Amino acid sequence: MSISAMPPCQAACPIHTDVRGYVSAIARGDIQSAIKIIRQVNPFPSVCGRICTRVCESACRRGQVDEPVAIGALKRFAADEARSAEKKVRFSGPYYNEKIAVVGSGPSGLTAAHDLALLGYKVTVFEAQHELGGMLSRGIPEYRLPKSVVKDDIDYILSMGIEAKTGAVLGRDFSVDDLLKDYQAVFLALGSERSLYPKCKGVELPGIITAVEFLKQISQGQRPYLGENIVVIGGGHTAIDAARTCIRLGSKNVTIVYRRTMKEMPAGKEEVEQAESEGVKFEFLTAPIEFLGRGRVEGVRCVKMQLDEIKGSKRGSLVRIEGSEFDIKADAVILAIGYEPRTDAIRDIELISGKSGKIVVKDESGLTNIKGVFAGGDVVSGPMSVVQAIAWGKRAADSIHRYLRNLPPKEIEEPVVVRPLDERIVTLVVKAVRQKMPALSVEERIRSFEEVNLGFAREQAVREAQRCLNCGSGAVVSEDCVACFNCVLVCPYGVPVAGEERAKIDISQCQACGICAAECPASAIDVKLESREESRRKLKEALDNAMREAPEKFAIEFYCQYHEAGRSREEKAGTYGVGKPCMARIDVYQLLKPFESGSTGVQINKCEHHDCRFMGCEDWILKHVERAKKILRDIGIDDEKLKIVREECE
Amino acid sequence: MVVAEIKPFVEIKEMLKNFKKVLIVGCGTCMAVCLSGGKKQVELLATALRAAKRTEDDDEILIGERTVGRQCEPRFVEQLKDEASQYEAILSMGCGAGVQEIVERLRPMLVLPAMNTKFIGASDSEGVFAEMCAACGDCILSLTGGICPLARCPKGLLNGPCGGTKNGRCEVSSDIPCAWVMIYERMKELGKLDDLKKAVKAKDWSKTQRPGVYKAHGEEQAK
Repeated sequence: MSISAMPPCQAACPIHTDVRGYVSAIARGDIQSAIKIIRQVNPFPSVCGRICTRVCESACRRGQVDEPVAIGALKRFAADEARSAEKKVRFSGPYYNEKIAVVGSGPSGLTAAHDLALLGYKVTVFEAQHELGGMLSRGIPEYRLPKSVVKDDIDYILSMGIEAKTGAVLGRDFSVDDLLKDYQAVFLALGSERSLYPKCKGVELPGIITAVEFLKQISQGQRPYLGENIVVIGGGHTAIDAARTCIRLGSKNVTIVYRRTMKEMPAGKEEVEQAESEGVKFEFLTAPIEFLGRGRVEGVRCVKMQLDEIKGSKRGSLVRIEGSEFDIKADAVILAIGYEPRTDAIRDIELISGKSGKIVVKDESGLTNIKGVFAGGDVVSGPMSVVQAIAWGKRAADSIHRYLRNLPPKEIEEPVVVRPLDERIVTLVVKAVRQKMPALSVEERIRSFEEVNLGFAREQAVREAQRCLNCGSGAVVSEDCVACFNCVLVCPYGVPVAGEERAKIDISQCQACGICAAECPASAIDVKLESREESRRKLKEALDNAMREAPEKFAIEFYCQYHEAGRSREEKAGTYGVGKPCMARIDVYQLLKPFESGSTGVQINKCEHHDCRFMGCEDWILKHVERAKKILRDIGIDDEKLKIVREECE
Repeated sequence: MVVAEIKPFVEIKEMLKNFKKVLIVGCGTCMAVCLSGGKKQVELLATALRAAKRTEDDDEILIGERTVGRQCEPRFVEQLKDEASQYEAILSMGCGAGVQEIVERLRPMLVLPAMNTKFIGASDSEGVFAEMCAACGDCILSLTGGICPLARCPKGLLNGPCGGTKNGRCEVSSDIPCAWVMIYERMKELGKLDDLKKAVKAKDWSKTQRPGVYKAHGEEQAK
């Protein structure tokens, strides 16, 4: 197993966000570092913190123990905290002479623009609508993604010196050829928002509207009342968004008709639950066969479906149940069954288009058959998630940079990923309840378009972040190992084993408690979660400060950085604090070192819990203190100067 | 491995009282494995010595820290030469062999022992090591089921237990299991109890004549 295995959350994320990095920063109370880590790969932190599909959470190994870490909510917390404090980037002007045109200002286009601007190019974004953001601005209702949030992320991106031209329609106002005259590269990120219609009789009846059109009206501030009885056809996010919007507009009976079951729904479970609690009804395994009405839609004739399992197929095949027809009353019908790209405008040029209007690209680099023209996002893949669109934008920016600079194509290396926890280890990990995000009450929700989810408070976020298992940041054995195998004997989880020449520690199973490192006689084990170097540096800093400010009388206080992260530490004159990820990480050396510098005392602030984060840590703290006390007595220093002070802990 | 323990702190302090520059040298083999004199123990002893010096309001003491792969290996010790020349004395955290090897290789440097070398032993449990071999030069483990009465019986009896054995423990200390009870149980396990009826001959101590020298290539080297 490689020593630099990637945590599963990061591996699952289409843009490989360093989830562990920012979650552990929040766990330490360091929100500024958290947002920096997120921004390294994602220019839409506030948006993704709200509507990301969170494949990271499905991969989270905490889910093997109890529930996955609420990663999405933590991203939102970091982004929201930073939004008030974050300064706009000061842009120093482009570095290269080449100009790049990005067509489409959805997440894919704006991400490419952002990354290209960071690389040093002058970028112009062309948007057909009058507002930037693509589906973010007009496809998702405000109760789920407020416009101000989208605007903040977009403003930050534009602050990199990106020019945006709105109301500029490809095919009407300019062509790809026109762009190639003024720009050295073009990125087409046109999205995929042409609605598909079911092949049913009566689909042309007035009163039948597409979800895209309906949500667009809402985003423009219109509040159309469609009637008392609404039927929404489809099972994706847009279907749920349309249904919940109708509830807010006063419709009494809103029914979502979906031909498969809840399990296959592209919309998340949480969203379905929220919709249900607001009064949306669901008809699963149901498909429309005819829209009824004279001169205007009055109802939908549906048929029940049966799911036949097919070997090798995840979703199975759908079969109509004969004779199961029934009618649902409808004053209006909203269609949300699927979307395809609208690429009529570029059909006449030599760009290769695939079926359903998609643009064909060579591979993930987004290269089209026209030199200098790249494409990505939903226009290539069909409708996908926001983070996948962002990933396309990032890859396109990289490809364009390589194309303009004549660099070789990017080599894609499959990361080595941390494996799942062994069953034995799962039973040893201390359980911790997932924090629930506060939300508006149902009564409050259905009366307005106010954001439903309210975000974590600081204390909640810190506590939630502390549930992270820090996968892959555990112990690493160096060549200095003398094969004493003391680590095998001291590990509370039984992870180290004797190898042929030295100890072996499986990074996938190590919990990063650090006890082996504290007990290794050859200092051959280091733990990535606070390395030896970092730990020594923190102690040295505290001692340097103490000797500068209060050389005559000072004391060192070790405290649990998790315990302290949720609140601000009390500053006491003459006392210098050193935070630790686990108190068992303070080895005898660190307990003695302050006395070498003349400290009048050393104190360990420890909560009352026996196993707070790691098994058996309390026992090791006591052992280290006892050993250090013995040495103090030998030296002739009063051992009472070293003490453990118990702190209250929730 | 060779097992050693660190000397009482006062004794070490006393040895070093007249020096201002001392290099502590650890050993990365046996001494590290028995948790007595590896890199971490060097760091700890250095810190303790500096802290002690501070309490005495004495002059500053310069303590260097260094750990070599094996102190009983001349080629490792020679690597210390340049660094050692900047100090007044070396405090060796090696076994007795390590101390003497440094003396031999780094003359005229003064070398002091920080350890009391105890025995040849093996790891028993976390931080516990047990004596296993007396280095008698004439191994009888084939006769005693692989358990050495010379090293593990306080009296070194070769032909059965003494009258002081009680419930499988030794009269010297109830912490010590009786070696001969262990040998008996082991021979029973092997189905060789009858072998114990044969007397083990008195030890030929001439085979451990000191100073011991071992020539891996025998006569070839003697010539």
